[in-house]
Amino acid sequence: MGRAIAVWVTGLLALVMATAALASGAPVPADVAFRLGVERTADGGVELIWQVRPGHYLYRDRIQVTDATGAPVPLALPAGIVHDDPNFGPTEILPTDIHARLEEKGAPGPLKVSFQGCAEAGICYPPVTRLLDPVTLALEKPVRGGLSPAATWSLPATSGPASTPAPGSSPFVLPETRTMAAEAAPASSSGGAHAAVPAFDMTASDVGDADDVAVESRLLASGDLMWTLAAFFGFGLLLALTPCVFPMIPILSGLIVRSGAGRGRGFVLSLAYVLAMAVAYGLLGVVAAWTGGNLQLALQTPAALGVMAAVFVVLALSSFGLFELQLPAALSARIDRATAGRGGSLSGAALMGFGSALVVGPCVTPPLAAALLHVAEGGDVVRGAGALFALGLGMGAPLLLIGVFGPALLPRAGRWLVPMRQLFGLVFLGVAIALIARVIPETAALVLWGVFALGAGLAVTAYDVALGRPRFSAALLPRVAGGAAVAGGVVALLLALPGPGAALRTAVLGDSELPAAGIIHTVTTDPEFEAALLTAQAAGRPVVVDFTAAWCTTCKDFERSVLTDDAIRARMADVTLVRADMTDYDAAAQALMKRFQVVGPPTLFLVDPVTATEIDGSRQVGPVTVESFARLLSKAGA
Amino acid sequence: MNRRTLLALMAAASLTALLPGSVWAAGGVDVNAILNDPGAPVGGNPKGDVTIVAFFDYNCPYCKKAQPVIDEVVRTDGNIRLVYKDWPILTPASVKGAHMALAAGYQGKYEQAHAALMGIDGGRVSAEQMRAALKAAGIDMARLDADMDKNATTISDLVARTNAQAEALGLPGTPVFLIGPFMVPAALDLAGYRQVVSDARDRKKAGE
Repeated sequence: MGRAIAVWVTGLLALVMATAALASGAPVPADVAFRLGVERTADGGVELIWQVRPGHYLYRDRIQVTDATGAPVPLALPAGIVHDDPNFGPTEILPTDIHARLEEKGAPGPLKVSFQGCAEAGICYPPVTRLLDPVTLALEKPVRGGLSPAATWSLPATSGPASTPAPGSSPFVLPETRTMAAEAAPASSSGGAHAAVPAFDMTASDVGDADDVAVESRLLASGDLMWTLAAFFGFGLLLALTPCVFPMIPILSGLIVRSGAGRGRGFVLSLAYVLAMAVAYGLLGVVAAWTGGNLQLALQTPAALGVMAAVFVVLALSSFGLFELQLPAALSARIDRATAGRGGSLSGAALMGFGSALVVGPCVTPPLAAALLHVAEGGDVVRGAGALFALGLGMGAPLLLIGVFGPALLPRAGRWLVPMRQLFGLVFLGVAIALIARVIPETAALVLWGVFALGAGLAVTAYDVALGRPRFSAALLPRVAGGAAVAGGVVALLLALPGPGAALRTAVLGDSELPAAGIIHTVTTDPEFEAALLTAQAAGRPVVVDFTAAWCTTCKDFERSVLTDDAIRARMADVTLVRADMTDYDAAAQALMKRFQVVGPPTLFLVDPVTATEIDGSRQVGPVTVESFARLLSKAGA
Repeated sequence: MNRRTLLALMAAASLTALLPGSVWAAGGVDVNAILNDPGAPVGGNPKGDVTIVAFFDYNCPYCKKAQPVIDEVVRTDGNIRLVYKDWPILTPASVKGAHMALAAGYQGKYEQAHAALMGIDGGRVSAEQMRAALKAAGIDMARLDADMDKNATTISDLVARTNAQAEALGLPGTPVFLIGPFMVPAALDLAGYRQVVSDARDRKKAGE
């Protein structure tokens, strides 16, 4: 038995590590290591900004701007760090972000900006060139063979590094991570004079965040991997308290009870279950990196949520005894033979764990979304997959208790099993409603909840009454709970009523209708977006773009608490808000997202209505607070 | 071993076996062309059981740092086949350097030329400096120039092929060493490279 555990654990962990390692660890392409942005300064000048990724540096004397005639354009670069290494010769490098003022007045465009740098890990990049239009401040990659010094090069020249193919399509893989650890040694010995790079300098925006998702994104980006893993384990534990994890409880307890396992064996079974669940989440993280985060969004479309809700409804109906969910006879016979008297099947437990993780996946929101967003944005995939693995472990940790104490607490069989199944049936129905409530109008959701609460409350009360007079005070609990549920259901139904209900809703739930302050366009396609921009252009108003979706709960928080703030409302009067609605994740929505490189909602940024391009440094991803939105509005000039 | 353990072992093994399969389903990369390009100079032991393919530039400081280490690994191992891929991407002078080194191959002195050029410190070496170094290493410069002219097309084609291979592999810069099935885009130390070579051999044995 010990050997089987060892094999399973190593096999599963190796699977996650190997797939994560395949997709990660590779040096980032040059244009990710050195992100170039342009801003107009307050006095109408132009500033070039390089975001230099930690662990990378640019050669100061290889940063150049030339105009269309080839004459150099003065650029005020900051002083660099002098790096005198025998292999390198004396060089001045810039390892941190660079802000440089460009004296471009009168220079004929387009201007050619070229720069070149290396990664401290021990690799140097070919020069990168960008074309800058001095009027619109638009940056472009030059067309192949355009302004590149192709004449002196006998290569089919690119003026920048080749685009990396999708991970997994190269026949050469990175070696195991332990050998890559050696790379830090020679690199650090070569430049002791490098300034310490701040660990949190990963995102474009300066979001003042007190919120979970932003914090988690920062945690993912920052230094200590162990701290990140521990934090995500904690988030997983918190998630275990949500109803999302509840369906796993009867599945796992059923497995253990059926197997007739003792305490130790029960723990091992639930360990296999939890590990498989964590692996499933880890793999989800890796898949998210490969598909660019669209997996999470695809899972949230009304269609996918509908299917998931239907699955839960089926589970619920089965729990109520309406029908039995049966495996094909041959398979169940084989499982019975394997599990009978041997204390349960590890493989069975692991398979169940893996499967239930996928089923519950769409139910789990902010931490999973944060991790997937970050992983998809090109962050460290090993870190992202590891964080998700830790999240899965956290979610499953309480389930381990079932494995240990379950066999003792849960009797082999008994009359109590039936009502227990029915109770879980109610929970499944609740989860189904929670899933579908994300994409249906609020009143409909209230109706569903109301009916559910009424029905559940009545059922619990009736059952309890049927049991007879309560023999001890604790037995009053079901009756009290039932009564409360009935009352709650009635309230929910009242709130769903039009007319008086609407007034009550506003009082109780807060105003979810957007304030009329400012002009708000809701768009779902690119042409609609352009039209909205044109209107804003005509009015000369700054434009705030908000990518949102009906199922995005943090977006709803934004509407409820930030947009309704009085100070914000006053400032919004002069601003055009364009809301890109991504609820139906169709081709038009995807095109809009791709145009602005949006991984998922909520995402906010400013757009220059003249050039219809995003203003660098204005992007905020994740939950937004009143303060951070106020700062964004200031940037817009509102 | 009971049936349960066997089931578990088979599941784990089949899952890990899937990995190399998906890895080798390459998108348009001809591995054979990379390992056995007829024009690319070969050093070390031509019959070695592990091949190291080195992509480098004569103006790449990290390549120069890694060069003596790789040389040491190849020399002490004795069973490594080393393929030189001149990939001049960093400066225009690098292109001239690559052409000169490859031309030196026609007088049987590629490795001497390569070592001479890698021995020049720094990332800002000019073509003149390169010529001086080659001359000092005992390369017949008159013959070099003649060979360079005569075989200009062949040399350019080779460099272009190397570039195409590197782009297809998605190499971000230099140096990159392909050691067996592993890609090492970094300057490791001696122990590091030796470890990768050993892993490559293990991987090869496992695959047989």
